[in-house]
Amino acid sequence: MEILLNNLLSWIIWFPLIGILIILFTNRKNESFIKWVSLITIIIDTILSIYLLINFDFSKTGFQFVEKKHWIDFINSYYFLGVDGVSILFIPLSTLTTLLCILISWDSIKSMVKEFYLALLFTNIAMVGTFCALDLVVFYIFWEAILIPMYLIIGIWGGPRRIYSTIKFFLYTFFGSVFMLIGIIYLYIKFGTFDYTILVNQKYPFLVESLLFLAFAIAFAIKVPMWPVHTWLPDAHTEAPTAGSVILAGILIKLGGYGFIRFAIPMFPQAAIYFSKLFLVLSVIAIIYAGLVCLVEDDLKRLIAYSSVSHMGFVTLGIFSFNPIAMKGAILQMINHGIVTGALFMCVGIVYDRTHSRAISYYGGLATSMPIYAAFFMVFTLASIGLPGTNGFIGEFLILLGTFLSNKTMVVFGATGVIIGAAYMLWLYQRVFFQELNPNVAEMLPLKKNELIALILPTLLIFWIGLYPNIFLNFMTTSVQNLLMNLR
Amino acid sequence: MGITLNFSVILTEIIFILVSSFIFLIDKFVKNKNYAFYITLVTLILASYLILFVPFGEFTYAYKADFYSSTLKLFLVCGALLISLLSYNYLQYYISLNSGEYYGFLLFSMVGAFLMLSGMDLVTIYLAMELMSFPVYFLIALNYAYNRPSLEGALKYFIVGSLGSVFILLGLGIIYYFAGTFVLQEIYQVLAQNLYLKELLIGFIFILVGFSIKLSLVPFHMWAPDAYESAPVPITSFIAGIVKFAVIATLVKIILLGFNPLKLEIGEVLIPIILASILIGNIMAIKQDNIIRMLAYSSIAHAGYAGLGIISADYVGYSFTVFYMLVYLIMTIGIFGVLVFLANFKKELLYIPNMAALSERAPFVSLLILILMFSLAGIPPTAGFIAKFYVFMSLIKTKYVWVALIAILFAVIGAYPYLRVLKVVYMDKQKLEFNFKYDFTFLIPVCIAVLLVIIIGIYPKPWTDMIYKTMYFYISSLFYSF
Repeated sequence: MEILLNNLLSWIIWFPLIGILIILFTNRKNESFIKWVSLITIIIDTILSIYLLINFDFSKTGFQFVEKKHWIDFINSYYFLGVDGVSILFIPLSTLTTLLCILISWDSIKSMVKEFYLALLFTNIAMVGTFCALDLVVFYIFWEAILIPMYLIIGIWGGPRRIYSTIKFFLYTFFGSVFMLIGIIYLYIKFGTFDYTILVNQKYPFLVESLLFLAFAIAFAIKVPMWPVHTWLPDAHTEAPTAGSVILAGILIKLGGYGFIRFAIPMFPQAAIYFSKLFLVLSVIAIIYAGLVCLVEDDLKRLIAYSSVSHMGFVTLGIFSFNPIAMKGAILQMINHGIVTGALFMCVGIVYDRTHSRAISYYGGLATSMPIYAAFFMVFTLASIGLPGTNGFIGEFLILLGTFLSNKTMVVFGATGVIIGAAYMLWLYQRVFFQELNPNVAEMLPLKKNELIALILPTLLIFWIGLYPNIFLNFMTTSVQNLLMNLR
Repeated sequence: MGITLNFSVILTEIIFILVSSFIFLIDKFVKNKNYAFYITLVTLILASYLILFVPFGEFTYAYKADFYSSTLKLFLVCGALLISLLSYNYLQYYISLNSGEYYGFLLFSMVGAFLMLSGMDLVTIYLAMELMSFPVYFLIALNYAYNRPSLEGALKYFIVGSLGSVFILLGLGIIYYFAGTFVLQEIYQVLAQNLYLKELLIGFIFILVGFSIKLSLVPFHMWAPDAYESAPVPITSFIAGIVKFAVIATLVKIILLGFNPLKLEIGEVLIPIILASILIGNIMAIKQDNIIRMLAYSSIAHAGYAGLGIISADYVGYSFTVFYMLVYLIMTIGIFGVLVFLANFKKELLYIPNMAALSERAPFVSLLILILMFSLAGIPPTAGFIAKFYVFMSLIKTKYVWVALIAILFAVIGAYPYLRVLKVVYMDKQKLEFNFKYDFTFLIPVCIAVLLVIIIGIYPKPWTDMIYKTMYFYISSLFYSF
């Protein structure tokens, strides 16, 4: 136990490596063995990450589970890991998302199974690593390493336009992150360290600070994605296989928001405040614009992808209003969005596996042929709208409440997004599940066990966070207050 | 100070020359052509032993085995060892290539590279460079049996290379006229007195042109795609990896030893050349359908990235230049090793669209391609990223932030050609049937290269330390001797 607790983060990050090695030396014909190995690996990893949650100390402000080992002395870069209230919830979210991905892809991935599970496990390593890293080089390496498996997952197992989408996704995010790389190197040249805890307390001239902030912000804004640079997301989400969409929606775009909260804002507070108006406006545009696009989309996955843009608009709205309530709401909303949108993508994937169509007009009256499925979809729809009692309500409410305290105009515009959201989601639900039974979907296979488990897990979390969010909010209270105190 | 003739210092080169001459002599009379490979292998292993255990020293003024040259020679020997393993594999399938001449020329070229790294005056370096290049021209032309246009590639390389020699000779003339010497350290002393700065800079620029031709920097890059395409595949990796490594290491050495006071100006002169190389190399690589041509253009871009360290005009930057080239050498051996494999079993596979769905036929090789391509594109956690990261760092340190910005944006463009290869290999659906088997002579070099790519990517410390300390010791030893 002592060894485990001392290096818990390393264990969580690198544990899937065991699975990777086992799979690497397995015959590719032995598919069920490969699946079981990756499933068991990720279950253990999830248990480890929950163990991390249990051992977290709410009252401490600084980083916990810190590991600092020599890595590249020459440039003063350390293998430096740690979590605080901002990042801790994302770690179980990552492992859980990977777990759901494995469950949902159990039968639907038929070609190149070995590569698929290798890529998933590799993604898990990189995702968890990104949330834990406190050394900027380590952070950048994990951050970029995600691109490799995602490029493959979208490109190999995706839909018809997968190649265009995956290259667009890769080049977009790569383009964004090279600016961050320049920023990171500049910080090192200036202060001789990549250590986040040191860099966060530095002061800069305003011009330098704004340039650095923009360099970081481009990378994060593309990842979030904020309004003018969001175009990679609908393509990537739509063409990715179900697991790819779930990872993209669940974790990848959260990295952008996390990056803002962890790096861009605390390190360059003056510039962040100076540019906050711009980012608030962009967030509101994203909320309303993406919501309106959703109203006219006929592609199920594309609709949910655009709804992600809209929801992430709420997140950035909460982040850039610099208010503790809104900030907590933003972090919680990221978790919520990961669960809900991931679940919605899984739902779409489940029917897509059966019908191979994503067009809304293809469906209709699905509630009669798949009643249990329809019930789950209803829960996720309502959570996505933000109905009280579900987690979506808590997140959006906190964000709007907090933003109202600091910036009233934006809330007026932002809140219309909630209404638009209700409109398109309910309309979607009506078109797909009610109305006359479309002969295309009259005969549908019932839900399989793995699909059922994959849908139950997020449902439980939705109600848990919706009815008793206190536990989750407690994780972040101290850290967020600390973060915003430094901002002033 | 009398001239010392310490033959033990130069023993490696002597052995190389003797062995290659021996191969040329007896080649006609031996039926089993594999003997040349075994002799080469033994010679290279012996050479690495000699480099490690023979004490440093001088052989006349012109030659000096020191810390810098010996370390880099060791890398070269290891690279040549892997390449000769690949060559053995390649020659089993392309039997019309004369194996005796092949290995003989390979060793001769190595002699040139070694002398170049150890050369202490400009004439020796010039002659050594010719000695290194001429066997390569022949090696390209050897492929005549399989690829008739290879004569064109060889001739093109030869003519452009000769042009480079002319430039170098002109530069030598200018330098001798003003400095009155060819010895690097004496040139340094002239420069240190602030004499003839401008004139010697012009002389150096002429030398730089000659070196740029060997490095295939823009605008002297036109020979590269043709020569790369026409050479036997392992020789292509020799040209792209070992020749470039030796040339750039020598360039760094010339700047360090002889033209140190001018290093800022040299950096400024190089900026447009380097940026143009990165730009043109990356952009031209996008449309190439022949993978060797694509890698030729990418090699132009990579030489440019390595050169960024020279722009920074700083010892750390120089060591990162050498480090970049070392990583590039490793990646080159890996990727051309894979191409040797493809060329052996189906030559059409060297055409990118034909590689479609290779991942289903040969998943292991595809995985190797995957890792190497991401490394060439500079995506972490691979060695390619670490190498790029270091050169950018040295550049930003010296206030050339704008150069770094441009170079790094071109790196985004430069990722596309590699992604395209991966797209074809993993995502396209169309099959070209081919049968294959894995040979150890293919697996050993390629797996070593790929493992190194990953290891350097995850834990680069010992490798960068090695290069940096080499440079550091070298510089400090230089300044003590003055």
